[in-house]
Amino acid sequence: MKITSYSLTALLLLGLLLGAAPRAAAQRTQIRGFVDALAYYQNGRVNFGLGEQDLFITSEINERLSFLGETVFKFSLASPTDFSISVERIILKYNYAGNHSVLLGKHHTPINYWNDTYHHGRVFFPTIDRPLLFGLGIIPLHTTGVSLQGQNLGRLRFGYDAMVGNGIGSGDVVDNNPFKSVTLAMHVKPTDGLRLGVSLYHDNVSKGNAAHNHGSGIMPVALTRVSQDIMTASLFCTDSVFSKKVELLVESSMVNSNSDSLGVQRAVATYAYVGLRLTDKFIPYIRVDDVRFTNQEVYFVPNNTQSFIGGLRYELNYLAVVKLEYQRATSHTHAATDRVTFQIAVGF
Amino acid sequence: MVCVYRFVFALFFILAYGRAPAHAQDLNLVVIGNGKGVPADMKLAQLKSTLKGEKLRWPDGSKVVIALLKTTTPIGQNTSKKIYNMSANELNKYWLALVFQGKADAPNFFNSEAELAEFVSQTSGAIGVVNQPTASNKTITIDGKRYL
Repeated sequence: MKITSYSLTALLLLGLLLGAAPRAAAQRTQIRGFVDALAYYQNGRVNFGLGEQDLFITSEINERLSFLGETVFKFSLASPTDFSISVERIILKYNYAGNHSVLLGKHHTPINYWNDTYHHGRVFFPTIDRPLLFGLGIIPLHTTGVSLQGQNLGRLRFGYDAMVGNGIGSGDVVDNNPFKSVTLAMHVKPTDGLRLGVSLYHDNVSKGNAAHNHGSGIMPVALTRVSQDIMTASLFCTDSVFSKKVELLVESSMVNSNSDSLGVQRAVATYAYVGLRLTDKFIPYIRVDDVRFTNQEVYFVPNNTQSFIGGLRYELNYLAVVKLEYQRATSHTHAATDRVTFQIAVGF
Repeated sequence: MVCVYRFVFALFFILAYGRAPAHAQDLNLVVIGNGKGVPADMKLAQLKSTLKGEKLRWPDGSKVVIALLKTTTPIGQNTSKKIYNMSANELNKYWLALVFQGKADAPNFFNSEAELAEFVSQTSGAIGVVNQPTASNKTITIDGKRYL
């Protein structure tokens, strides 16, 4: 019988899991959750809405092996009950040495700061919703696969993620083509409150495959084979300026989609967030988003979009946050939209 | 009129005196550790890094297990300020976020020093912060000092 490299990897992981079993008595399991509700005014109407209910489970199986699961219940017209269940993360993490670990399962792709930090915990979001970079499906939000992770290494607190996964268009149990997605990400945290990161994502999307990372309910199909590279840079900084703490978060992703017929088409998505902590609880903020595509885009819906957000965040405590926000969005294909949203997000 | 002044003075004195114990900054902190894994002496920067969950293993390979008093206790509040340089609320948010990201295991929080000391004595690699040295655990000196 021919033993492939995948079989060897699977056997290795199975061995690690079985080795962990005898000491499972020390297991510590915690269940937490996040939920949000909102009201918004748009086009002369006030609407009330439910956000996501996010259940989050962690379990320390033994000294080296841990489990993390995140499941979201959310409104979905496609479901007969109007709500769907979405498994967002299932991760088995084995800390094999020092601050180095191997992770297997469904991850939030470790491409950038927001996607790898806030996940679905709205109570952590600095603004009401995700930046357009995520909402418009510019990056693959999830990847199922295996990764190596290192964190807080050396004086600069260097961290890395190297991941191989099923890739764009695949499900959580099978790959849709022979190509694996590859993610390489690294960051440094030279001082408290400062994090600089860069990443590279590569995948091949086969002709006819649905591109699952598109937002807004649009599920386009790749008309030709596309080789995609996503390069991302991010900066997160929080520091005191004139005794007031300033929060700054800037991220930009450039997506090069290469097809045989049209060559390389480029999309660039950027957002910048600035918040000023006037008191322990009160933070006014702004965020600007910009998403641009080239004319002959073969992969994305080429709808150049810009957005401005101004808002106020009031943190009752670490488990309850209220936000009031105004957003104006303009795009090539739609009229400008204005929206005022009030949201309360809690953890429990 | 004199009575009023005396009353106001007495009230001011009671309020000022009554507030004194609430200054958690005044409490001493002592770092204790389990006999396995935890070094006998640490630098302050190393302690802060360890208690922030940035270090997953001790040099002998045993897992770093953090034990803290709840931030509702004076010692817990003092730990937040002196070691984490955070308010109690910021500390709770910090840990919730870190666990949510899958980057670290949550600390073990306790209501009393006795509970915390017993946990540290029974858990390999456990390190905790209390107010006074305990008989059942070794005291970790920080930059050569027993008290923070």
